[in-house]
Amino acid sequence: MNNITTLFSSEDKPILIASGFIVVILLIGTAYTLATQGTMPLLTANYLMLQLQSGAFLGIAAAGIMVVILLGHIDLSIPWTMTAAAMMATTVGSELAIPTGIAVGLAVGVINGLGVGYLRVPSMIFTLGLDSAMRGLMVAHTGGYAPADQATPLMRYLASGDFLGIPMSLCVWTAVSVIIFLILRKTTFGKSIYATGNKEAAAYLSGIRTRRVILGAFVVSGVCAALAGVLLAGYSAKAYQGMGNPFLLPAIAAVVLGGTHILGGKGRYVGTLVGVILIVLLNSVLSIMQMPEAGRQIIYGTVIICMLLVYGRGQKISS
Amino acid sequence: MSKLAPIMRLSGISKNFGATHALKDVDFSCRPGSIHAILGENGAGKSTLIKIMSGVLKPTSGNLYIDGREASLQSPTQAASKGVVCIFQELSLVPDLSVAENIFLDSPPKKWGMIDRKKQRVAAQALLARIKCEDIDPSELVKDLSLSRRQMVEIAKALGKKPKVLILDEATSALSSQDVETIYDLLEDLKCEGVSSLFISHKMQEVDRLCDTLSVFRNGQHIETFAKGERSDEEIVKLMIGRSVDAQYPDKRPLIKRETQLSISDLKWGGELQGVTLKLGKGEILGLGGLDGQGQKELLLALFGVLRGVEGKVEIDGRAMTMRSPASAKTSPTNFALVPEDRKTEGLMLEMSIADNLMIASLASISNGPFVSSTKERDAVAKGIKKLQIKVGSAKHPVSTLSGGNQQKVVIAKWLQTNPNIVLLNDPTRGIDVGTKQEIYKLIHELAEQGKSVLLYSTDYAELIGCCDRVAIMYEGKISAELEGDEVSEAAILSAALNIGDVLEDEKRETFNA
Repeated sequence: MNNITTLFSSEDKPILIASGFIVVILLIGTAYTLATQGTMPLLTANYLMLQLQSGAFLGIAAAGIMVVILLGHIDLSIPWTMTAAAMMATTVGSELAIPTGIAVGLAVGVINGLGVGYLRVPSMIFTLGLDSAMRGLMVAHTGGYAPADQATPLMRYLASGDFLGIPMSLCVWTAVSVIIFLILRKTTFGKSIYATGNKEAAAYLSGIRTRRVILGAFVVSGVCAALAGVLLAGYSAKAYQGMGNPFLLPAIAAVVLGGTHILGGKGRYVGTLVGVILIVLLNSVLSIMQMPEAGRQIIYGTVIICMLLVYGRGQKISS
Repeated sequence: MSKLAPIMRLSGISKNFGATHALKDVDFSCRPGSIHAILGENGAGKSTLIKIMSGVLKPTSGNLYIDGREASLQSPTQAASKGVVCIFQELSLVPDLSVAENIFLDSPPKKWGMIDRKKQRVAAQALLARIKCEDIDPSELVKDLSLSRRQMVEIAKALGKKPKVLILDEATSALSSQDVETIYDLLEDLKCEGVSSLFISHKMQEVDRLCDTLSVFRNGQHIETFAKGERSDEEIVKLMIGRSVDAQYPDKRPLIKRETQLSISDLKWGGELQGVTLKLGKGEILGLGGLDGQGQKELLLALFGVLRGVEGKVEIDGRAMTMRSPASAKTSPTNFALVPEDRKTEGLMLEMSIADNLMIASLASISNGPFVSSTKERDAVAKGIKKLQIKVGSAKHPVSTLSGGNQQKVVIAKWLQTNPNIVLLNDPTRGIDVGTKQEIYKLIHELAEQGKSVLLYSTDYAELIGCCDRVAIMYEGKISAELEGDEVSEAAILSAALNIGDVLEDEKRETFNA
């Protein structure tokens, strides 16, 4: 009895629901292809691997923003952190490209962390402001056009090459996942993140340096976004204006669909992984079904809202 | 009096939360014009009982009658419309609204369909005046009030609903002694008006003084109801815990000369601390008393590095120290620990596990570099739980599943893990059952015996008298008196707290005359 209740704690429930929904999406998509083409491409390893590869950019960005959401904050500077990192990486070029991109993310994270943690500006405003400022900087830098610089071979290899048949972007995503998982589960920093997100006053009075924790979380988020941006530039061979824009909502949605509490303190990394896969597959199946863009957006938004309703009600009943 | 028909009657009420039975087949009634005490340890089912009576929870089975008619209460609003009003232990005020807005939150006076602010303010003022809180400005925001003032607003809010049954859940535990007196008078008035007051308190003196009927609960069952005076205090305590208890406080420790561990001189902060000078000996238990809001809380926070811009000198073992943050205060060389005022918002991360809460202040001690060692963590958690005899199912359960007393033990255990030299306690036994209180007193004495110095702020004078070696009384941000040995008495504490020397003198004269 006790084992069952701890096995299915409130944190596991959203993850189970989201996993179940992934299965449902695959079944619906397969039923559609069987009916129209008589084949089942959705259940092949090749298709799934392809989805994971293209999901890696979203996955890496979501991993970073999850750490910030666990604190009860939000990082809305993801889109232009990605873009700025990609643009600076391609501008600098050579072997310094990737370190430059990461440094951009680090700098953004530090600025966000100082603003939110030390100056106590609400994160929603501060990160949104920084996002806008970066957009201005990048437009000034490029003159508003897509920069002509090309992604370096290493960036291209990491984004679209493969290693022993496994896409490199998937390997990078896996490495990021292992690191974030270990940080959240096994380190004092991770425990401090959960404590601060849960009740900042109690964490502070327990002698946790909460401002540093907030700074650290934004740095993680910035670096992850930058890495995602650099890889995305490698995937498309170059950086372009607004390349990070389509990633903000899906990244937040993936984290929240994976069961992380939007007000902080609760959530598991596995959930975010499941959330990313769910969103990637949903998009893919909708496009296979040749749903027009307008219909896709509607279904996509409705699914997110409905799933959150299910979670919310579940929590109310259990408490 | 007892011939009157009950206003509210419960028959065969049971309430289950999953597999736990919070209430088992309870019959209970309360009559008009009485002050009825409900006694029992934490977890005895008192809170569940009043939540059912006030419509917050629905019983699993059983019936509820108001004025002889069966009623099923769906919400607190509905209960209030039938005259059942509850003042909850957890304060239910909106911090960012004004006092008047809070008092009339669910039914503000209206004019043309809009809230009539003027009428609301005047009505709030009248209610506040009734509980002698003219000092509270109805347009002030609730968040700017101290905890005890907020509690008084809560009481005014309940009065505004014109209750027939008024339930007070630990309503006096956050109040200063003056306000407690006001509440006593108010309850007497209400009694004459035929209101039935249900009074939940852990303070026996209060119950003795105020209530005419007493009901004892234990393990979710209604054990016995009797009129005041039918049973002695010892018998009542025995009924509550189902066994007899020894003396409430540990034996007094002999007064010895101690070397000074902590020396505070002329500590100032804002208007709250106006030059506090105090010495704490090694292994000493120093009580901090006085009326609520005289700077006691700020003194503890200043020592713990929470406050900015503190002036004055703090020396530990003769060396000047500055505490910039709790993080620096808890580490060597200062080694402070602070058990804060409100365990629910300042002491615990309620949603997190018991284990996480126990270790959060001492993560460094269970880590190798940045990584937490799970074996070290498990050992430390087991040790902490065992040392304080915290009753837990599993250390992985959220700390919110524990009873109040056990939650407070977790807060204390958390700080013992850091092996502090100086322990600051801010009212550690507030709202805690008798059994746990005794364990905490014993623990404080053990800590002192181990050479740790304890600074204990308490709103309960008996606790200061029973538990401390020495008592310092604060008044308007200063130490107004220091008492030790036989000088520590309720009269002495009270007169120092009110900053008047006469009470003591009067009492001496009286004893002399007698």
